[in-house]
Amino acid sequence: MLMRYRFEIGCVVALLACFLITQVELNRFYYFAGFAILQYVLISTAWNILGGYGGYINFGTAGFLGLGTYVAIAMIQFYGAGIIEQIIVAGALAGLLGLGIGYITLRLKGVYFAIATLAIAIVLETFVNNWDYVGGAAGVSILPPRTPELLGITIVDRKGGGIFYNNKEFLFFLMGALAIMSVWIARTVEFGKLGRGLNAIKDNEEAAECMGVPTLKLKLIATVISGSLMGVAGAVFPSYLTFVDPPTAFNLEFAVNSLAMPMIGGTFTWIGPVVGSILLGTVQQVAIVTISSEINLLIIGLLLVIFVTIAPHGIVGWFMKKNK
Amino acid sequence: MSRILKFRVSTMLLGVLFAAAFTLTTAFSPSAQAKPIKVGFSMALTGALAGGGKQALEAMKIWRDDINSKGGMIGRQVELVYYDDQTNPKNVPGIYAKLLDVDKVDFIVSGYGTNLIAPAMPVAIDRDVVFMGLFGMNNNKKWKYDKYFQILPAGPDPAVGFSYNWFEALKTFKPKTIALLSADAEFARNLKEGAVKNAKNMGLKIVYNENYPPKTADFTPIVRAVNAKKPDVFYIASYPNGSAGLVRALAEVGTKAKAVGGGMVGLQFSGLMAGLGPNLNGILNYDFYVPEPTMALYPGATELIAKYQNKVKTEGLKTDALGYYLVPWAYAYLDVLGQAVNAVGKIDHEAIAKYIHATEFTSVVGKIKFTPLGEWSETRTIVVQYQNIKNNDLQQFARPGTRKIMYPLDIKTGTPQTYNSLR
Repeated sequence: MLMRYRFEIGCVVALLACFLITQVELNRFYYFAGFAILQYVLISTAWNILGGYGGYINFGTAGFLGLGTYVAIAMIQFYGAGIIEQIIVAGALAGLLGLGIGYITLRLKGVYFAIATLAIAIVLETFVNNWDYVGGAAGVSILPPRTPELLGITIVDRKGGGIFYNNKEFLFFLMGALAIMSVWIARTVEFGKLGRGLNAIKDNEEAAECMGVPTLKLKLIATVISGSLMGVAGAVFPSYLTFVDPPTAFNLEFAVNSLAMPMIGGTFTWIGPVVGSILLGTVQQVAIVTISSEINLLIIGLLLVIFVTIAPHGIVGWFMKKNK
Repeated sequence: MSRILKFRVSTMLLGVLFAAAFTLTTAFSPSAQAKPIKVGFSMALTGALAGGGKQALEAMKIWRDDINSKGGMIGRQVELVYYDDQTNPKNVPGIYAKLLDVDKVDFIVSGYGTNLIAPAMPVAIDRDVVFMGLFGMNNNKKWKYDKYFQILPAGPDPAVGFSYNWFEALKTFKPKTIALLSADAEFARNLKEGAVKNAKNMGLKIVYNENYPPKTADFTPIVRAVNAKKPDVFYIASYPNGSAGLVRALAEVGTKAKAVGGGMVGLQFSGLMAGLGPNLNGILNYDFYVPEPTMALYPGATELIAKYQNKVKTEGLKTDALGYYLVPWAYAYLDVLGQAVNAVGKIDHEAIAKYIHATEFTSVVGKIKFTPLGEWSETRTIVVQYQNIKNNDLQQFARPGTRKIMYPLDIKTGTPQTYNSLR
């Protein structure tokens, strides 16, 4: 019985672990680094739903993420929205963008689709650059509340009866919960009708269509889910950074990482992006404060070349092959 | 006792003696008595602002060596702990958390530039520590943090103060109309907004007011569009790449505007000055320090820059060869902190912040007094005109006469001439 629900139990344990980590009051640097790694778990898992299962390489990650970020900023500017509201609205709008963009671009394939998605980020960045309400090209500083409330309950400010000691601990836990949610969604997609359909599309789209797989519908659903999760990842960004400008929110680094992490971990299963993002995310965080230069992008490039050459199915694929 | 055993015993005794000597020397050395004071920061050592960041870092190292040779801060040696932020604001909060929590630095100071100061502000505020900024514009406007102080001599309202002197300098041309152009980016847009206020205060009619995308490569259509409006003066707020592109476009297309320039960032960098050479003649631009004889009002700045230039040469550093633009200021923001800590006599951020607010400091950039928001109490931006540039030799910019000071009047070394008269 327990074995049947081991994934769900694993999710609950991971969530509890995230919560317990916030209660031991580590150096705050570890919460910062942990947040960045968990954010990549969420982003790369989201990317993998369309890119890994469906074989449609999406270079527009920064566009969806940036949209989520700027929806959150607009809501804060407009009426000081709470973080949960920001996440819900950003996720919904990014999902809608996914639907619209998907409808236009999913007729394209291969490199043409990749170029079309790359254009999304550029178009949105140009739009935000000229939208002064959210700071425009100048960027915007966000003042996070000292004692944030969630559904009327003070969650930060332990001295005042809150659950978390400071905002960074809370954001770490929140990102952990969102990352776990994304993994759960990805696994549900993978083992469901949608995942099987996407796999068929990846292998041979024409054959899948002939066999009665509703290819456009499935690809659109995958784009909506993927885009929505990326938007959710972006919505938490302003609260974490407290200063956002368009080059940061629409940074191409997000597109590179969201593609490289599943590639290195393994794109055919839900655990691949998790392994890839934890591994690469940790290496990047360590590189920033040790090697301390843009060399972390070089590390990603080198790892990508090595894995594509030696282990084309990623770390998970390599282990599975060895255990056969 | 065999010979081998004797050898082993004597080796062991020698080892013990060395260990004892080492322990004794380290235990009684000054550094063992007092741990060094750590100053932590992120710096743009790669990425778009690396040119400035590397220059600033070398100046900060010179300050560290200077203060350590004088006994350090409150009798303790000073150590710099820094990481490359890659000119990416995303990396900044994590770096400052690492500096404060893992490296346990005693003080934090900012990296170079407004966008990299902004994400560090919440960390400093959260920890309630003194935070010195380097070339930040209006970073504290929203926060109103009482322990923030920054080094950019643009006065209490930096956006307006930055271009105030430029408008004063061009009064000699008696202009009636103005065109304004800025890069579509944070710092440049702030500059232009300030310039618009100054232009209105002066009664100028704005005939052109546009932004250009930061990645623009060809500026000739923009210059032609400005020329079509026939402005008397042309104010430009641009970043290094745009500045270089605009200078070249102006040289190619030409303009009848009497004064051109104002807030062109990058024209102060050695590489760009040498590269643009005679194309710079006639440009009227802001600056902070130039090798003109009247700049002696900054005590020690000339010696500091000479020291920096020598360091770059002897150590073969790949950074700005002249260092006029940033070196004195990067030195000064640490110097102010050092003076304040030594005056207070202990690491008490509350007391140090109060001291900085109450004190007028003298450093290599002259006298410094801060407003309640940590900005400079008076603007000290100078206006220079590029003149007599004959070729692309870098050394000509190290001598007086190529960037003459037009304003403030008390240190002026020349009179503004029309752009075309110097071409």
